[in-house]
Amino acid sequence: MSDDLLRVRGLSTRFFTEEGQVNAVEDVSFTVRDGEVFGIVGESGSGKSVTALSLLDLVESPGRITDGEIWYRNPELADEYSGEFVDGDFVDVVRLPKRARRALRGPSFSMIFQDPMTSMDPSVTVGEQIAEAVEVQRRASANPRSTRSRTQGYGLGSLLLDSVVPTREYVSDESWARAVSLLEDVGIPDAKDRAREYPHEFSGGMLQRAMVAQALAGEPDLLVADEPTTALDVTIQAQILDLLREIQDERDTSIVLITHNLGVIARMADRIGVMYAGEVVERGTLADIFDDHVHPYTRGLVESVPDLDDPDARLDPIEGSVPSLLDAEMDDRCYFADRCPKAMEECLEDPAEFDAGDGGEHTAKCYLADREYDESRALADGHFDEEVGDGE
Amino acid sequence: MSPRTWRNLKREFRRSALAKVGAVLFGGVVLVAVFAPLLAPHNPTAQHLDLEFLPPLGFSASRTVSTTQMVNGSVETVQNTTFVAASPSYPLGTNGLGQGVLSRVIYGARTSLVVGLLGVLVAAVIGVPVGLTAGFYGGNVDDALMRAADVMLAFPSLVLAVSLVGLFGTATIEVPDPWVALGLAPNMPPTFTIPGTVVLVVGLVNWVWLARIARGEALTVSEEEYVKAARSIGASDVHVVRKHVFPNALTPILVLATTQVAAIILLESSLSFLGFSGTTLSWGFNIQNGQSYLAEAWWVATFSGIGIVLAVMSVNFLGDWFRDALDPGVEGEGGV
Repeated sequence: MSDDLLRVRGLSTRFFTEEGQVNAVEDVSFTVRDGEVFGIVGESGSGKSVTALSLLDLVESPGRITDGEIWYRNPELADEYSGEFVDGDFVDVVRLPKRARRALRGPSFSMIFQDPMTSMDPSVTVGEQIAEAVEVQRRASANPRSTRSRTQGYGLGSLLLDSVVPTREYVSDESWARAVSLLEDVGIPDAKDRAREYPHEFSGGMLQRAMVAQALAGEPDLLVADEPTTALDVTIQAQILDLLREIQDERDTSIVLITHNLGVIARMADRIGVMYAGEVVERGTLADIFDDHVHPYTRGLVESVPDLDDPDARLDPIEGSVPSLLDAEMDDRCYFADRCPKAMEECLEDPAEFDAGDGGEHTAKCYLADREYDESRALADGHFDEEVGDGE
Repeated sequence: MSPRTWRNLKREFRRSALAKVGAVLFGGVVLVAVFAPLLAPHNPTAQHLDLEFLPPLGFSASRTVSTTQMVNGSVETVQNTTFVAASPSYPLGTNGLGQGVLSRVIYGARTSLVVGLLGVLVAAVIGVPVGLTAGFYGGNVDDALMRAADVMLAFPSLVLAVSLVGLFGTATIEVPDPWVALGLAPNMPPTFTIPGTVVLVVGLVNWVWLARIARGEALTVSEEEYVKAARSIGASDVHVVRKHVFPNALTPILVLATTQVAAIILLESSLSFLGFSGTTLSWGFNIQNGQSYLAEAWWVATFSGIGIVLAVMSVNFLGDWFRDALDPGVEGEGGV
């Protein structure tokens, strides 16, 4: 069994909006191992993307990580610091200084975004944007302790010079050459010429390949792919997934793959976390989730996918929609209970994470993992409707 | 600038007559300003008291001179009206000190242009970083910076400018005139005076507008996914703002900066009209100088006034051209 690379424990990310506190990610825990693909699956608004952004500390105001730990295995980093947030080879990056966390973006974690068309700066050539990622790391590692590396070559002098001479190149020739070779690695033909083109001259699939090249520039331990194929044509989707698989095999990079598409998950993931209303409601291996699922939500997800062997089978959609994540409107219960066909009286209390399997890693936040469904304790059909009626 | 920007500019230029007028006029102002010592027929500061108030070519002027004489033992005032003809070497006449109006208008273009461009540069150097910072960080940083900017807006710009000039005094920078230094214009003033305080003050008065537009753009651009993507590769805030936010926010800033040049030219003229300038080679100064003689010698003030109108108009036409060509919001208007 391979070693753990990332241990996320009790992660909570909240947004403090004018309408109130939004619990986008609530007490999420999972582990990512070396060289594996960990899939996070869930509906829109279930907190998948915010989880991804939290890993890279890219959550923007008014959002903030309010609780939890992200233990990341990095012996060099662990040597550099001491204190509560260092445990053997692991460092809790949530408690790292802001600057040190930023330094992890690139060489430790990097990210592939959903829509390559909007994730590339339209005014900068594709090659330059990849070379930039190389250059940022090159400058940061050239002299780790100097202020220049902190600002990445942006002393006041160079900033002024930069403004006076707008054509002054930020990237060095070596970084450019590296960018071209990265583009070749991700399968872009004529990389040398295409590097000089602007994003709008690329097709969506090619641009997503370029995004992957950019994410690889820092040679990260962990690649977070947030819906990497959602914006692409189906035929291109498969190519991008193959590319990710190739990277994972060749570079032994761990991947956190976030998607609402169970087909993608089934094809790629080694282990899976199912998210609902900001929580991981069930997690386990590919087989655990697809064949031995416990949580009715997971069941609903799996059954709402057409089965090619039985094309006439009725699809069972999950009734209702994702609940509001406003703190004021959330009470301590299983958030799925109002849509759950097997809701029982105990579901009005927040379920713990129960072991759902044979003492392995298959867990579910559902009382059904703990006990049998008891029809006599079932909640009345209109139970939650009344509750809403009372509130109004 | 990207190739697309160029294409849009060219297309709009072909379409718009005003853009052509603006470009020709502004080009003219720039040429006049640059080659002032070669174009001016006389040294604009040399005084010839015997040549005062010569009319422009094609006009004549009568001048009444009162003299006191002893006539039959009593003192009498005799009014002699003399006829003054225009002189071909002073095509636009002369002022009360016998200085050629044409030469002064030509040199005035220099001052206006230099103050206009440098002033906008000062405004941009202050305003753009402030606006970008406010828009990029948002929240408290935004509030603090933009409320400070709002306070600046509460003052009428001319009052603020006059008080600032009063506070700093009128410092000037003397720049050697290259044409004179090369010996091509031996009779012209050897140095050109840049009214330093005025440049600073017009910049200080106008930075707020650039800060506001830069902030608005930065606010939008910072929301873009590619800014997040740039942060995800470990780029610092300074880097992200300089390389991704600023270039994508640049167009509206440029459009506004162009129209600001016009506003600053007007402000400079107002300041020198009120006597807060530091240089006498300014259109505003000429108008102030000529306003008491409007009845007898209208040309002293009028030609400088025309200079201001043309310069401001040309810059505004350019601004409209840039706006129509580059601002996607109004792109459809001409029927693409």
